[in-house]
Amino acid sequence: MDAFGKSQPVRRREDLRLLTGAGRYTDDTAPEGALYGYFLRAPVAHGRITGIDTEEAAASPGVRLILTARDLAEAGVTEGLFTVMVKNRDGSPGIAPRRPILAEDKVRFVGEPVALIVAETLDQAKDAAELVMLDIEDLPVHVEIAGAGDGGRDGDGAVESPVHVEAPDNLCVDFALGDEAATEAAFAEAAHVVTLEVPDHKIIANALEGRAFSAAWVDGRLHVTMSSQGVWTHKSQIAKVLGLPEDAVHVVTEDVGGGFGMKTMVYPEYFAIAQAARHLGGAVRWAAERGEGMLSDNMGRDLVSTASLAFDADLRITGYRVDTRFNLGAYASQFGPLMQTQLFSRVLTGVYDIPAAHLRSRAYFTNTCQVDAYRGAGRPEAIYVLERLMDRAARELGIAPDALRRRNFIPPEAFPYKTVGGETYDVGAFARVLDHGAAAADWDGFEARRAASEARGRLRGRGLCYYIEAILGAPDEGVRVAFEPDGGAAIYVGTQSNGQGHETVFAQFLSDQTGIPVERIRVVQGDSDLIASGGGTGGSRSVTVQTNVTLKAVAELVGAFRAFLAEEAGVTAEEVVFDDTHFRVAGTNATHSMLDVAEMARKAGRDDLLSVAAHDKLAARSFPNGCHLVEVEVDPETGTVTLDRYTVVDDFGNLINPMLVEGQVHGGIAQGVGQVLMERVVYDETGQLLTASFMDYAMPRANDLPFFHFETQPVPSTSNPMGMKGCGEAGTVGAMAAVANAVQDALWGQGVRQADMPFTPHRVWEMLAEARIAAG
Amino acid sequence: MYNFDLVRPTSIDEAVAALGEEEAQPLGGGQTLIPTLKQRLAMPSKLVSLTAIAEMKGVCKTDDNALAIGGGTNHATVAQEAAADFPGLAHLAANIGDPAVRSRGTIGGSLANNDPSACYPAAALGTGATIKTNKREIAADDYFQGMFATALEEGEIITEVRLPIPEASNYQKFEQPASRFALVGVFVAKYADGVRVAVTGASNDGVFRWSEAEAALSSDFSAGAVDGLSTPDGSGMISDLHGSGDYRAHLVKVLTKRAVAAAS
Repeated sequence: MDAFGKSQPVRRREDLRLLTGAGRYTDDTAPEGALYGYFLRAPVAHGRITGIDTEEAAASPGVRLILTARDLAEAGVTEGLFTVMVKNRDGSPGIAPRRPILAEDKVRFVGEPVALIVAETLDQAKDAAELVMLDIEDLPVHVEIAGAGDGGRDGDGAVESPVHVEAPDNLCVDFALGDEAATEAAFAEAAHVVTLEVPDHKIIANALEGRAFSAAWVDGRLHVTMSSQGVWTHKSQIAKVLGLPEDAVHVVTEDVGGGFGMKTMVYPEYFAIAQAARHLGGAVRWAAERGEGMLSDNMGRDLVSTASLAFDADLRITGYRVDTRFNLGAYASQFGPLMQTQLFSRVLTGVYDIPAAHLRSRAYFTNTCQVDAYRGAGRPEAIYVLERLMDRAARELGIAPDALRRRNFIPPEAFPYKTVGGETYDVGAFARVLDHGAAAADWDGFEARRAASEARGRLRGRGLCYYIEAILGAPDEGVRVAFEPDGGAAIYVGTQSNGQGHETVFAQFLSDQTGIPVERIRVVQGDSDLIASGGGTGGSRSVTVQTNVTLKAVAELVGAFRAFLAEEAGVTAEEVVFDDTHFRVAGTNATHSMLDVAEMARKAGRDDLLSVAAHDKLAARSFPNGCHLVEVEVDPETGTVTLDRYTVVDDFGNLINPMLVEGQVHGGIAQGVGQVLMERVVYDETGQLLTASFMDYAMPRANDLPFFHFETQPVPSTSNPMGMKGCGEAGTVGAMAAVANAVQDALWGQGVRQADMPFTPHRVWEMLAEARIAAG
Repeated sequence: MYNFDLVRPTSIDEAVAALGEEEAQPLGGGQTLIPTLKQRLAMPSKLVSLTAIAEMKGVCKTDDNALAIGGGTNHATVAQEAAADFPGLAHLAANIGDPAVRSRGTIGGSLANNDPSACYPAAALGTGATIKTNKREIAADDYFQGMFATALEEGEIITEVRLPIPEASNYQKFEQPASRFALVGVFVAKYADGVRVAVTGASNDGVFRWSEAEAALSSDFSAGAVDGLSTPDGSGMISDLHGSGDYRAHLVKVLTKRAVAAAS
């Protein structure tokens, strides 16, 4: 491990800046004198626009510009937003209806942008927005996915006024994967079949920093600053939609207060603000207010799956079948259709040796906000279904939940293991990881704790989830290391910190590889003029892809410096060695640090040696995995669920900075627990968002969580030279089923047979009350 | 937020005069009004801040064994100053919102607003407090008149609240998971002449006294005395995405029991 980083718990160098108010977030860095943009948004969920009169608003004090769909069309900005569509099971493409920047003939969800008002102050823009006369003829609203209490259905089963005429049943795509016939055969021959319906509700990302975007038109170039997960897609999309050459668009992202997938995608507001800046020949800024973000940020999850496992007489899994229906919202967002189809399928069969599996997944349009990637993006959803079902199977088959899992784990000798979903897992030691988890959690001491809880009138339950994750996002990345005139070095990265601590990790890693003191290393990210391309942050990719390519750049740098020193000393390059901190020239006492050699090169006029760029692609994906073991207590009088014990043992392969890894796991668990215990999006039947502020949308807080026991049992990945696996999403993937299974366990003894999240006190109390009534 | 004029009088008389002007509206700690203004849901032309009036601030014990709290006293001050004489009230004040809210929000503002989920109305009604205004004294039993409705007249200011100190008391708040306001809150106070039980958060009619529990507890101040009561009727209770009326009714009984257990 030493050769590839020292695995030290180095403290975050960016924290002093971020914690003392010196962070540079988008809204802090808007250009001097920028005008304010404010969006008039759809007040109803579905309707035909019969008129937009902006005359009075345009004459309102301070107003400089109002843009509607018609104005965009007149300016030649006619392209809609793009989506990555998947194919139907019959090979035909799914339906990708036009998604306009500003609503055209119809509005399709509450919060959809209808007009942009640009004024000298934000209050002036808001005042003017109240003067826009927007006439909308209401249409039937589809809040639930088709077939689930759809109020818009008429008598003969056809959907009345579908969200898009192109999709008459509100069905976007009917996707399938796996061998259906083999799976059906496995079920036909099964000794046991266990089936469970598993809902996974809709949630809001709620990044601490909301979406924000400013644009300035200066001398024929558009300069954008925005809160994103990587600038390059935004740059190319803005250029394309505005009809500008790519080099006329410059996009910068500095500090970001959380993205969680939600800030990956291009949103309509960005094009409107950019067009306004170009039209006005000046600068325009916009930052989503909290409620605005809750209405319009892409949401997460929102699916219902019916899943079945087939077992032989020895309780080995012979087949797995999942039928999922998921919500896209009003439009197919950038990656929305991928979520519960291709991404779900990456870890469809989890850590189990399953010979036959089939996934059917149907995506629907509704008159609600779009759903797209949220921490884990399809993988938490898949693992949640499988691990809830494994737990149910253990109960129905009369075997301990850990024992059923152990019996079906892919054994260590089976790696590399090709899943029926098409992934090849490189390594894994699931039983060993679970051994450590069970020991650390005192799994066997549960009964005593349960009895103690019972004596206090509380119901105790325990839950286990063994998750696996597939690292996604672009598998390739670039880097440039440059020696600067002040004698230090800069590393230009294609990833984008959203607050995870990249600055610390990348500087430390380069320092470990080169001996350049960490304080002499400047990390540069998120500037499309300085960095030509990059993959941004997402899919737990950043540290693996960035350190992988950094190793390559360092190797090139060392080679070039050795050749240079050899030439200077009149020896062969083989006679110059580099030991991770210094170059030594054979037969002399000369030692030179990396920075010394850079200075020598500069003096020798060898500027070609002062910058090295590299690009590299990972050989394959890696697969973080681990177990979460959870104990909860339920107060049956109030329905309150208290998380009491939490143990995680992860296999993340080798760690670059163990402290930051643990931080990622803590945050990931908090997001998983948030969904399981309290977070939820509620729309009323007219499509109004009831949970549009923190008064009604519950977020987890520190006192909702116990102290975590965290450890790792590394099995280094063979897919990258560092043996890493990525850790950003794992906490969420593992937390959901573990906590839900624990609550189900606590309630099982009271007769509750279908315990679905979110486990709010009210819902848990109702589950208990219904079970009592059912028991007579 | 729309533009408005702000005045900060330093005496009750000045405040009353300022509130006599057209469309003037009082501003206490602003914990409800300021968020409302930020969302452009109110459009007052003039706000009269009550936070600079020294004679409306402070906590003291009266000769007749009550706690007198100035209407402009913030929750943090009550939490601290009431701790020795009236721990049940101090505990209530110490658990309103977060430190920022407790440093701004005032008892007078809370009672004047009479939010159905606020904590203070339960204490005022549960102690049989007297609400003193610039004009008169109002008994708590007459003061609360339904959700967001009180006996206050236009331009009337709560200058002081007098809460008789009970022999024993406790406030149990069951938090709404998002806002952490009271989904249901129950204040129980035991006096020599009987027990009072006031419930906030639950009813469509705002804070109310649970008279069956008061009667039962006045003869037997024990959690067991509550057990024998039937659950209050849920049909008049608030029903929203955080809890049905039946759930709230059920919680009223559970929390009353717990309050009695904690107080006795």
